[in-house]
Amino acid sequence: MDKLVGQPLPRAEDIRLVSGKGRYTDDVNLPGQAYGAFVRSPHPHAAIRAIDVQAALESPGVIAVLRGQDYLDDGHQGMDHIPNPADAVAFRERAFSQSSTGVIFNQRHLPLAVDRVRHVGEPVVLVVARSVREARDACERVEIDYDPLPAVVDAVQAMEEGAPQLWAGAPRNLCFQARIGEEEAVRRAFARARHVVRHEFRNSRVVNCQMEPRSALGSYDPRTGEYLLIAGSQGVNRQQLCMADALRIPPERLRVVSYDVGGGFGPRSCVNPDQLAVLWAARRVGCPVKWTSDRNEAFLADYQGRDQVIRAAMAFDEDGRILAMDNEIIGNVGAHTVSYVPLANGSRIMTTVYHVPAAAATLSAVLTNTPPTGPYRGAGRPEATHAMERMLDIAARQLGMDRIELRRRNLIRPQQMPYRSPMGLTYDSGQFAANMERALAVAEWDDAPARRQAARARGKWLGLGLANYVESPVGAPRERVELTVAPDGTIDCVVGTQSTGQGHETTFRQVLADELGVPFDAIAVRTGDTAFVKVGGGSHSDRSMRLGGQLLVEAAAQLRTAGAPVAAAMLKCGTEDVRFEQGRFVDPASSRAVGLFEVAARIERDGVPGQADVRRYSAAAEFNGRIPAHPTGTAVCELEVDPDTGDVEIVRYTSIDDVGRPINPQIVEGQVHGGLAQGIGQALLEDYQIDPESGQVFSGSYMDYGVARAGVMPARLDVELTEDRTQGNALGVKGGGESGITPATAAIFNALADALGDCWDGELPMPATAPVIWEAIRRAQGAQQ
Amino acid sequence: MIKVELRVNGQPVSREVDDRTLLVELLRGELGLTGTHVGCDTSQCGACTVKLDGAAVKSCSVLAAQASGGDVLTVEGLGGPDGLGEVQQAFVACHGLQCGFCTPGMMMAIDYYLDTDGSPDDERIHRALEGNICRCTGYVNIVRAVKHAAQARIAAGKPLGKANHG
Repeated sequence: MDKLVGQPLPRAEDIRLVSGKGRYTDDVNLPGQAYGAFVRSPHPHAAIRAIDVQAALESPGVIAVLRGQDYLDDGHQGMDHIPNPADAVAFRERAFSQSSTGVIFNQRHLPLAVDRVRHVGEPVVLVVARSVREARDACERVEIDYDPLPAVVDAVQAMEEGAPQLWAGAPRNLCFQARIGEEEAVRRAFARARHVVRHEFRNSRVVNCQMEPRSALGSYDPRTGEYLLIAGSQGVNRQQLCMADALRIPPERLRVVSYDVGGGFGPRSCVNPDQLAVLWAARRVGCPVKWTSDRNEAFLADYQGRDQVIRAAMAFDEDGRILAMDNEIIGNVGAHTVSYVPLANGSRIMTTVYHVPAAAATLSAVLTNTPPTGPYRGAGRPEATHAMERMLDIAARQLGMDRIELRRRNLIRPQQMPYRSPMGLTYDSGQFAANMERALAVAEWDDAPARRQAARARGKWLGLGLANYVESPVGAPRERVELTVAPDGTIDCVVGTQSTGQGHETTFRQVLADELGVPFDAIAVRTGDTAFVKVGGGSHSDRSMRLGGQLLVEAAAQLRTAGAPVAAAMLKCGTEDVRFEQGRFVDPASSRAVGLFEVAARIERDGVPGQADVRRYSAAAEFNGRIPAHPTGTAVCELEVDPDTGDVEIVRYTSIDDVGRPINPQIVEGQVHGGLAQGIGQALLEDYQIDPESGQVFSGSYMDYGVARAGVMPARLDVELTEDRTQGNALGVKGGGESGITPATAAIFNALADALGDCWDGELPMPATAPVIWEAIRRAQGAQQ
Repeated sequence: MIKVELRVNGQPVSREVDDRTLLVELLRGELGLTGTHVGCDTSQCGACTVKLDGAAVKSCSVLAAQASGGDVLTVEGLGGPDGLGEVQQAFVACHGLQCGFCTPGMMMAIDYYLDTDGSPDDERIHRALEGNICRCTGYVNIVRAVKHAAQARIAAGKPLGKANHG
C-alpha cells in the first residue's frame, strides 16, 4: 500500500461541508428551546447604577430577564481565564512569575457585568424569550442607568499616571510589568556598539472575523443535574474546566460539545462570557437556551487580536553584526484578563532566526476600555517578526548596508544547531540561510531593478520586501489519543485537538492508515465532545499534528505491541516471532497471517492472554510537555504603489516554508494562503477604529472593516515547502498553521517602505490603507517643494 | 402572517410565516435547510447566497414573501454527498474550503457566475467573488476551483455563460 502521509489527498470532511450537511452550532436545535439576546454596554466605561427589567419582562414572549447579580445570587463566580500561559520551556510553570507591580493580575470575568461596564459591547443583561425577535425587542425595553466614567483605549496612555483605572487590583492598569533577559550583557553591548537603531512599531488591533458568528446552545437536565453546552470552539476540554469552575460544579457535570466550527484563528480557544451566560440561563429558566451572535455583536464582543506597541532597540558592531537587542513590548489586554499569550510568545521569539548574543525585554500587559484581546493566529510571533524584520531594513539603511547582506551576516548557521536563543528557546533545526536564498531566487530578487524601472514607466512605484521567520512550539502542553480497533473493520480514533478548518478528519487518518496499514476509510476520527474526549488541549499554536501526530504514532505502536501475543496465539507461534506488516500480524516461518481486525474479534471473544477481562483492542497515549519544533521560512513581497491614489497592488509574493514533514501538502499550502490573506488584511486593510476621545467603536461591521477579498491577493503567488525535519517527534512535523501569517506584515511593510523611499517618513500606521499612503506621499512631496 | 408558496430545490413549499421572515430564515428554520449560512447582517459576506429564479441573491436581504412564486436553489440542491455537482466537486478537488462556513454561499455565487460568464479569468473571477468573504483560504484555491468547475461544465456539455438553472 502506498504511504498516505505526504499525499495531497482531498479532504474527507469536504463531502459533508460542500453538500450543506455541515453541523455548525446554529444549525443545531433542542426541543423546547428558548432564545437569548444580550443588552450590551453602549459605554466604554461606566458605573451601573440601576437596571430596571420590568418593562422587558412584560414584553411579549419574554421568559426571563437576567442580570449579573442574579448569576452571583445563584452562587456562581466569574471565569478564571488563566491568562498567564504555560511557559514555552518550563511548561509546568507559568510564563510570567515576576512583576514590578508585585502581582500577576488575574480578575475573574463575570458573564454579565454587575456594577461596572468596561468596554463597549460588554454583556449586561440576557433576555430569554420564545423567539429571537421577541428577545431582541425586549432588549430595547431594558432600562439601565449608567454613570459614564472616563475611559482609556490606548495601552500606552493607560499606563500613565492619572489615567482612568479599570480594576482596583491593577495599579496603572498593569496586569504585570516584567523585565526579562540578560540585563548586564545587554547594557554592556549597547555601551560598546558602533551603531544603535531604535524604532517604535504599533501593531494594530484586528478583529478575528471568523465567518461563523459565535453561537451557544445551553441546556440543563434537572434529573441528573447535568449541563450541556453546544458551542463551537477550538477545544472543548478547556471550555468545560473553565465554565464548570465558574458554575462551581465538578467538570463531569458539564458536557461541552463542539461540532463543525466556522473558523478559529486563536480567540476561540478562550471562553466567552456570553456562552457561560446562556448555559446558566438554561438552568435558571428550565429549558434549553440558544443564542447566536450577529456580526455587529462579533465586532464588539469577540475577543480580538494583536494591539501591541513594540519599542525596539538593536546594537550593531562596525561590520553590521548584531550585538544585542532590547525591546519594550506593551500589550493591550483589553477590559478583562483573558490572555497574556501574545506577550509570552512575542518575547520568547523576539530574536527570531538571527544570532543575537544578548537580549532583554520589558513587557507590560495593560488593561484598557476595549474588547479583550486573545491569541490571534501567530499570537505574538507575527508582531515580533514584524519588529525584527523592519528593524533590519531600517538598520541597513542607517548603516549604509544592503539589507540582504545584513541578514546574511546575522542568520543562525546550521552548524550552530542546536541553537539556544538568548530568550531560552532551543532551535533543533532550520536552514535559515538556505530558505532565504531560495526565496530570493524564486522571487528573482536580483532582477528587481529592471522590474522597478518598468513599473516607473507605467507610473507605479515598485517595492520589494523580505522577512524571515521562525516559530516556537507552545500552546497547551497536554494531549491524548485513544485508538480502538473494532472487529467490524473500523478503527475509532479519539483525539483532544479538533479542527476549525484544518482537516483533521483527513490528516489524522493519513497518519493512522500508514501506521496501522489499514485503509483510510476504515478509520473514524472523533473529536469535540467531553463525553468521550477526556483530555485534550484543542487546536492552536500548530500543536495538533505536533502533539496529536506524535501520540497517533505512539498509540498505533501500542496497538501493534498489544496485538502481537494475541496474534501469536492465533498463529500458534511465539510472540517474538510475529511481525507486523500492512495491517497484519505475520508469522514468517509459516507465512500465515492474521489481520488487525481478526485480532480485535479474538480479543472481544477471549480477551488478551493473561488478561481475560480485557475485551477491547484499544490503546491510549498521553503526553504532557514540549516537543521541539520550530516552523521557519522566508517571505518576499513585491508590490506596486500608485502614487496618484495610494493604492497598493501585490504583484508577486513568494513564500518558502519549512513546516517539517507535510502530512498533506495541499492542506499546508492552503494554510499558507489563508495566513497570507490575514497578513495582507492587517497590513493594508483591517482598520479597527476606536475613537480615542469617546472610546466608541467605529468599526462595527464588514461595511467599515476591510477583510481581504479575492482581488487583493497577489497576482502571482509562489509557495514552496522545504523540509528540514525535526527529530523532536516521530513524524518530523513542525507545523503549518501560522507559516503564512508570521512573516506577512513584515514583508509587506518592508516592500512598502522600499516602494515609497524617501516618502516613507518614520513608520506608516497599520493598516497602511490607500488614504494613509496617499497622505504620506503628499506630505513628502509638499516638504520637498 | 403571510402565505408564501415557492419551489425550493425543485420541491413545492407552502408556509404561513410572519411578514418579516427573511428568505434565509424560511430556509434554515422552517425547512431545515441549514446548508445556507448567515455570516453577517449587512449583506457583505455572501454566506447566505442562494439562487432565486436563476440569479444569485443574498437570502438575508430577501423577504420570504418576496420569494413567493419563485424558484429557489440552495446548496442542498446543487448535489448531495452521493452526487456532488461540478462546483462542489471542484471545491473538493482544489481544496477550496477549510472551515466550510462561507462555502455554500461561495459555491452558489460561483454557480451563478458560470451561468453568466463565458470566459472566466482571474480578474473576472475576483470581481464575481467581490460579494463573498472567506477568512480561511485566501481565495487562491477558490479561484482554482472556479476554473476547475468551468472546465468540468464544458466537458459535461454545459456551455458557460448560459443559464443551466432556473
